[in-house]
Amino acid sequence: MLKQVFLERAWPKQAWIGIAVAVVAGLALLPLLPGAIDSYAFSFLFFVFIYAIMAQGWNLVAGFGGQISLGNHAFFGLGAYTTAILWSGNYLWGSLYDAWPRIYYFDPVTMVLGGLVAAVAAIIIGLPLLSKLRGDYFALGTLGFGEIVKVMFINGGDFTGGAFGVIAPAGTFDTLLPHYLVGLGLMVGTALAIRLLMRSRYGLALIAVRDDEMAASANGIDVLKVKVAAFAGSAFIAGVAGSLYTYYIFHVGPDSVFDLDWMLLPLMMTVVGGTGTLLGPILGAFVMYAVFDLARIVVPDYHPVISGLTIILAMLFLPKGLMRSFAGRVRVV
Amino acid sequence: MMQNIPPPDILLQLSLNGALGGAMYGVAAVGLSLIFGTMRLIFLAQGAMIILAAYFVRALFYSLGIDPFLSLLIVVPVGLGVGWLVYQGLFRRAAAEEDRNISLLIAVGLMFLIQNLMTVVWGGNTAAVVTSYTASGIEILGVRTSFTRSMGFLIALAGTGLVVLFLRKTIVGKAVRAASEDMEAATLMGISPHRVNAIAFAIGIALAGAAGVAVATTFPFNPFAGFIFSLKALVALALGGIGNVAGALAGGIILGLIEAYVQYFISGGWTNAIAYGVFLAVLMFKPEGLFSRPYKKA
Repeated sequence: MLKQVFLERAWPKQAWIGIAVAVVAGLALLPLLPGAIDSYAFSFLFFVFIYAIMAQGWNLVAGFGGQISLGNHAFFGLGAYTTAILWSGNYLWGSLYDAWPRIYYFDPVTMVLGGLVAAVAAIIIGLPLLSKLRGDYFALGTLGFGEIVKVMFINGGDFTGGAFGVIAPAGTFDTLLPHYLVGLGLMVGTALAIRLLMRSRYGLALIAVRDDEMAASANGIDVLKVKVAAFAGSAFIAGVAGSLYTYYIFHVGPDSVFDLDWMLLPLMMTVVGGTGTLLGPILGAFVMYAVFDLARIVVPDYHPVISGLTIILAMLFLPKGLMRSFAGRVRVV
Repeated sequence: MMQNIPPPDILLQLSLNGALGGAMYGVAAVGLSLIFGTMRLIFLAQGAMIILAAYFVRALFYSLGIDPFLSLLIVVPVGLGVGWLVYQGLFRRAAAEEDRNISLLIAVGLMFLIQNLMTVVWGGNTAAVVTSYTASGIEILGVRTSFTRSMGFLIALAGTGLVVLFLRKTIVGKAVRAASEDMEAATLMGISPHRVNAIAFAIGIALAGAAGVAVATTFPFNPFAGFIFSLKALVALALGGIGNVAGALAGGIILGLIEAYVQYFISGGWTNAIAYGVFLAVLMFKPEGLFSRPYKKA
């Protein structure tokens, strides 16, 4: 029976939509359960949402676009810093925060700005890199870019707070509920936006460029434009995720928000979930973060060892990702 | 910030120390170059392997009293064996996959695994190997440098030289070169991709072992110091030209020089940014590396 459901028949489209709506509704209603807000599951899910958003962003440029970016942690950090600097308000225009204490708490303008700063950086670095470099060389270039951005923030003086970073006002924090809901909303919103995008002319062009650049170009697709747009879109998503993280962490420092884990873990989650599929990054984020967190609780001293082992085992035995291995011939977009 | 031009002896001292230190990046880059050449894999765990070798050298020295430089005779063959096993156990299946993310992630997983196993076994603190000659120096061209740094440089030269000889003179080496240039064509000529990959891995890890000896004798190290080595080795690799083994060593030396100069003339805080900036510039304007000659690789 299980085999039949999972492997032999493609799931009908309605079934997927039904499951997705049920899961999202369940997650959205979770805070109504008594005690849920203070439970461990709540912060666990909040982190899953952040990682799922990051994974979705990486999947856009690498899974759908075929350009392996190893610099998404830089965009995450840019978004996080943008939010922290604007929110703390002490650097550019004096303390706006003091005048309107609520204005920068999950302020959509600030979050979008975090994404935009990351996207602009992606365009600036993406134009030369993507016009000159292909494949592995692009991956190497983005890795170098990430490290440069980190050093720039460490040496940024008062504006970036140097090696210490920026502290945002924590006074408004009393519950994780807004974080949870905003995170859930952004995760769902990102997935929907990517679904819409991938069904548009632009999405088809992106897939065409990934599959055969020459043929795409011969059919009148501006290859560079499509690639840079995907890179910028990916950076925008990462920047927004960074912004969301700032609202949780309050203290943004070069070692925390430019940590390589913000690139490697989402990458891993996407590959485990299923590269180039819409639900793969979300599924991967849930499963892998659960494994890591479980390891952290059960064997605290060895959990990074377990994480390393899990990555290796997942890649050895599930190289195609959960979505493609278990869901049969699903429509992936 | 910017200083006046220093007297020539300081400049010479700076260059010598930079070049000697950079040779370590170079020898790591040679290993990366071989692995990248055959498998197109950015083997991010190379640095972790180097630190693992350094801990191994340290253990040999403190528990068995084996001199660090003498332990090369143990570390290099062990590295060859480990490299072979790592390929057969971890990368063999992934190498056949079209999706190269899989190999990349296995390398990342391996890096996590090694780093944290080292932390569990040896603790997270900084470790060092202190011998009777650690503090002694020698004089080259009228400037003084440490004995261990110079030995590290010699190890790098010898290691790279042996690899170049192997690639040029032996039939197996030629197969590796052929596979680096065009795996598909090499396969058609009867070269087994798995054997070539395994050989590249074996030599790559053996070189990580040699670099580990150099690191153990020269610097204090900790389990997480490896990643920066991987990045530096990648920069050296790009400077030297991917697929160019001698160039990788030269790339490492150039990187060492850049770092030494930036540290002296500008500030230590900017070293990495400028090194990666050079890396990006080379990738963009001379992706074939600084020393490429057409149709003559390795």
